[in-house]
Amino acid sequence: MPLTRIYRRFMNNNDRLLLMIIGAIVGVCSGIAAVLLNRSLSAMLEWLHHYRDYYWAFIIPAIGAALSSLFLEKIVKEGAGHGVPEVIYSVSRYGGLLRMRSGFSRLVSSCLTIGSGGSAGPEAPIVMSGSAIGSNIARMFNLNERQRITIVGCGAAGAISSIFNAPISGLVFTVEVILGEWTALNIVPIALASVAGTEISRILQGNQIVFGHGGFEIDPADIASSLGLALFAAAASILLTRSLRGMHHVSEKVKAPIWIKAAIGGCAVGIIGMFTPVALGEGYHYIQDMIRGDFSRGIIIAAVCVLTKVLATSFTLGWGGSGGIFAPCLVIGSLVGLTYHRALSLIWPSAAWVDEGYFALLGMAGLISGILQAPLTGIFLIVEITGGYNVILPLIVVSAVSSSICHYIEPASFYLKDLKEKGQLLRPGTDARVLSDLKVTELLETDCIAVHRNMLLRDFIDIVKRSRRNYFPVEDENTGHFVGMIHLDVIRPFIFNPEIYDAVVLEQIMDTDVDIVPPDADLPDVLQRMDAKRLFSMPVVADDKFIGMVSKATLLDQYRKELIVQTTTA
Amino acid sequence: METQLFHIFRNTPLGRETLLQSIYFCNTLGVSLQVYIPKFTKFLMYFENDVVQIDLDESYLSFPETAIAHATELIEAGGKKPKFLEPKAFTASTLPDIPTNFDFMCCPRSISDLSSKIGLGYIGPRVRRIVKSAVFPVLITSGAFKQWKSITVFFGGSANATNSLKLGFRIARLSNLPLYVFTQADGKNKDDIYAVVKEGCLESDFEKYVGGWSFFQGGQLEENLYDVPHDSLAVIGAFGHGLIKDFLFGSKMEIIQSILPNNMLIVGPNYSVRR
Repeated sequence: MPLTRIYRRFMNNNDRLLLMIIGAIVGVCSGIAAVLLNRSLSAMLEWLHHYRDYYWAFIIPAIGAALSSLFLEKIVKEGAGHGVPEVIYSVSRYGGLLRMRSGFSRLVSSCLTIGSGGSAGPEAPIVMSGSAIGSNIARMFNLNERQRITIVGCGAAGAISSIFNAPISGLVFTVEVILGEWTALNIVPIALASVAGTEISRILQGNQIVFGHGGFEIDPADIASSLGLALFAAAASILLTRSLRGMHHVSEKVKAPIWIKAAIGGCAVGIIGMFTPVALGEGYHYIQDMIRGDFSRGIIIAAVCVLTKVLATSFTLGWGGSGGIFAPCLVIGSLVGLTYHRALSLIWPSAAWVDEGYFALLGMAGLISGILQAPLTGIFLIVEITGGYNVILPLIVVSAVSSSICHYIEPASFYLKDLKEKGQLLRPGTDARVLSDLKVTELLETDCIAVHRNMLLRDFIDIVKRSRRNYFPVEDENTGHFVGMIHLDVIRPFIFNPEIYDAVVLEQIMDTDVDIVPPDADLPDVLQRMDAKRLFSMPVVADDKFIGMVSKATLLDQYRKELIVQTTTA
Repeated sequence: METQLFHIFRNTPLGRETLLQSIYFCNTLGVSLQVYIPKFTKFLMYFENDVVQIDLDESYLSFPETAIAHATELIEAGGKKPKFLEPKAFTASTLPDIPTNFDFMCCPRSISDLSSKIGLGYIGPRVRRIVKSAVFPVLITSGAFKQWKSITVFFGGSANATNSLKLGFRIARLSNLPLYVFTQADGKNKDDIYAVVKEGCLESDFEKYVGGWSFFQGGQLEENLYDVPHDSLAVIGAFGHGLIKDFLFGSKMEIIQSILPNNMLIVGPNYSVRR
């Protein structure tokens, strides 16, 4: 039996097993990519560390951001963006198809941006790379759309698991943020990819807890106080989201080459970093200091650091640098937690609060949950990267409250906001997704009988007798162009008056002010127009020629079929 | 449902020739024309199992202030109504997604590299990717506008060639132009090749439309190509073989395109036949 036939039979019969195997392979590949990025970043940071004390050091982030932007635009010719929204967009609209170049482009560009001091994290770029690796491996195996989406998820999960040494976070982040659906088909391969990614990281870098701590003695009062922290974390999340988007809009108005803009942003970050070094780079060692209680600055400095980190991140990402918001969120979150702890100590100096590291952890969870509006990701990520479950209860409280407040103020998360605004977030099984998968041309009813404008009413009534439809398109007999419609109701007054059968031509009674639909129109727009004008059906016209009707009845029929397809394969 | 040809307009003399060719193609086959005037040097085409990024060369963005006027003038002079495609979706802010639900697409030989590479013997990598992934045939135009008065289908008996033959029949039916078949048999005899026609239940169309069959059992393909009329639209199947066969024996389409200056309609492996 030829190998291709064996492969096809295997694929048909062992869909899940195949996905698990490919998922594990993708997890390994994206895990390796994550380790590569991590190592490259460390090397670059170490190399540039010696130059940080010079007075001209502020231009280092500018050079890095400019090079990063040039690399993305001129060498790999990839459009700018943070990475994660592009993956969600691709999953949502094109079955997870991603370009091969995305598998490595963000690794290099983010390394240049972050390594030179830009305030961003390597997580979004590595998610993009892992997803692109998954997508292209799925393409090689000729997987269908549903399977490819799962494998893209495997890439994202393997990457996050590897970079944080956190398999559950990888799984939860992928399902909660990237795919937006929990199904049995997805979860097993993604879990395997997470394990593979984590294992690769452990083999190549050792089994390290990213931000280890010695444990905390938590009182009920500490848990209650975490409610207040959730409010501050939500406020910081909103501030960061708005600042990032605002900065992006400002930079869009500047008429300059994209690499110049990135350099301007980088320069601003460099200047901020000269006064508050915590604003530079990914800032993980500052988080470690805060969790251990070694961050000695006072409340004012901590609060200023929150603002400068928000500003630096906005300058880096809003002006064209490459990177993600995970790491800045963690830094800002821990600074918010620290500031909150200092404020509590100031207000109630005699109260025995738990260590400040505890609040730093909660702040991180609050920021991640708030900005991503993904509470489970926030909870599991912090549990895994800090290596302990003893803070799980306050983590749940902070994550839930922060994400709820953020959702109330900003209904879409940072990653989804642009997509939602453009109507491009199409989660499986939702109304928008079902409608986007249907085309006007699929709903065409072509059994309408076209009539001519000069036709006598008598002839028309003969046609009505033979037809089962209420609408009749009217065409010009010479050009065949669509000129109007006649509804059955219009001729009702004449039906019982045979004397005028030969006195009325259709041109006199047809409706010429008809709303038409082009065949390439978007179905949600068509539906909106039908609803606005209380229409039940509309004529579809292309090149002035009537080609059929589109009606709500056919739409409902097709909608049901499409919904069944989407939900049963899921 | 109306049949559409997708054309990416370049506001240069070369772009004018290509657009004229598209207009002629549309008029001959009764196809409507959808023109895209790029605002960015890159765009994405999402096919069923592939995403192709097209990196246009800078000449596609030249003189944007006159591009619409020039294109409109040419299209209206060709008796067609100008229809311009405005991308609705963007993967990134400078990366529009172009739909792929067309029936034909017109490409110059290269759309990513400098216009100096438009000579024979060169098809750009993006055009290849489009041909490999698209469900529609790709019209690769000659350097200067030239009307075609017949259709020549290159038919060697493969599955892809059978699709080319079906497309040839469709074009012959729509255009009422004579259809010729060109076969470089490489040792096979005429009956073997005709058996493929029978197998595809295409005998009646073959009898009806084919005006002549240039059948070469021997000789060099390069030499035999002289028999293809200079004013014929060449319909060729491409990339229908596996990687190994292509690597060992090369691609016939590559040889043909490097020698034949005619307008060519290239049928890729994913082409879905419309009757």
